[in-house]
Amino acid sequence: MTSYDPSFAQEVFENVDYGEEIRMCMQCGVCAASCPLSMRMDYSPRKIFLMIRAGKREEVLSSNAIMLCTSCYSCKVRCPRGVPVIDVMHGLANYALRQGYVPRKKTAIFGQEFWNQIYRLGRIDEKDLSRRYFFADGFTQGIKNSLEMADMGITMFLHKRMKLLPERPIKGIKDLRKMLDKAAQMGKGGGGAV
Amino acid sequence: MKYFLYWGCSLEGSGANFLVSLKPVFETLGVEWEEIKDWNCCGASISYAGANDLAIKVLNARNLAIAEMSGGYDIIAPCSSCYIQMVKVNHEIQEDPELLAKVNEALSEGGLKYNGGVKVRHVLDVLYHDIGVEKIKEKVVKPLKGLKVAGYVGCQSVRPYGEYDSVERPVSHDIVIEALGAEAVEFPKKMRCCGSGIFLPEMEYCFHLVKDILEDALNHGAQLISTVCPMCAMNLEVYQSRINKALGTNFDVPIVYLTQLMAVAFGGDLKHDAALHYNVIPPEQIIQSALE
Repeated sequence: MTSYDPSFAQEVFENVDYGEEIRMCMQCGVCAASCPLSMRMDYSPRKIFLMIRAGKREEVLSSNAIMLCTSCYSCKVRCPRGVPVIDVMHGLANYALRQGYVPRKKTAIFGQEFWNQIYRLGRIDEKDLSRRYFFADGFTQGIKNSLEMADMGITMFLHKRMKLLPERPIKGIKDLRKMLDKAAQMGKGGGGAV
Repeated sequence: MKYFLYWGCSLEGSGANFLVSLKPVFETLGVEWEEIKDWNCCGASISYAGANDLAIKVLNARNLAIAEMSGGYDIIAPCSSCYIQMVKVNHEIQEDPELLAKVNEALSEGGLKYNGGVKVRHVLDVLYHDIGVEKIKEKVVKPLKGLKVAGYVGCQSVRPYGEYDSVERPVSHDIVIEALGAEAVEFPKKMRCCGSGIFLPEMEYCFHLVKDILEDALNHGAQLISTVCPMCAMNLEVYQSRINKALGTNFDVPIVYLTQLMAVAFGGDLKHDAALHYNVIPPEQIIQSALE
């Protein structure tokens, strides 16, 4: 006999940023209907919330849905129960990655490189971020990716939409890192770097 | 009135035409501003892959704290992502003093403290509410007569808080377009998302989002699309040729920043002030035809 296992819901409430908010979900599906990429998701946000309550840990943490949020906030403004759906999805993505799940590899790498660059410089250098993203899977793949996107790089350069100077760290970078380290420790569920 | 201008990382690179055109527009309208000293990135919408929520809040609170202690003027964030990231911190600490205490515990590692006293404003909010349509109309010397512009609002400039406009049916973008003498085209997809920050890694999915938006704007008669977000501009404009290739479409619609249209209507130079030559799909001809 199978029955619902509440332990995963408890794990989400305690460790996932905004995780406790899903208690308010009444399964109406407005989030799913509002989401621009829900048709690409294996489970809609509504289903993800239901599955958390049903204890489907593996399915939720390896679901592509938690990594496909475009951050458009449609779900958050429309939820009749005030659930910040987007924030829960981001929290789940962060938690899944911390637990070693990689639901959408490219998006995960892009996001992690984005954050690494903020930690390193305090700012984003778009050309450097693209390079790191393209080369994250090794040199050969990096060359392939770069060639594939080369036309765009050239276009941006020719239209003065590429910062040419390398980005230097902001003056307060050391203090910024101390703040971010502290925040990482203090975060929900112990936080820590991914 | 004086403001802080927090233009963020994109406006120094892929969104350079936004910043270049914003400056002369502010000058014409008498908007005084200064840069936030030693500002950092807002984390945009994808940082959750590398950091927890508190770290992203602290990242934004650092900028807010610096602004608060060096004048406390309202912060204008032209980039929608910068805007929403900072507005979000402000909203959540107002509802939750415990969160403010946590943010400050982390900020104190670098000798900063934030009291929650700085307002963050979108550039459309400032144009519409602080400066006002009448003043914008006054400054128009070259009305963009008959130019059919789709004012694409997208996501993060009004959602989720609706601080200055409706989250479902916003009007401020269209009203500014009409103040310039152009015609704002109504199109149902004006609030749909372009894919935003995950466009690059999720291209094959996001192409369809942009296709729907472009098609809708064109079907409703738009000659060009105006935006106030560097990600919308990037995804709608720079990827257009790739979308054509991937989906067999034939789009060739210029995407401009609202401030570029304003710079032109205020009589500015098409290159020096409006930075039209920064655009990948040339908007000059269409805009010129409205001026004649």
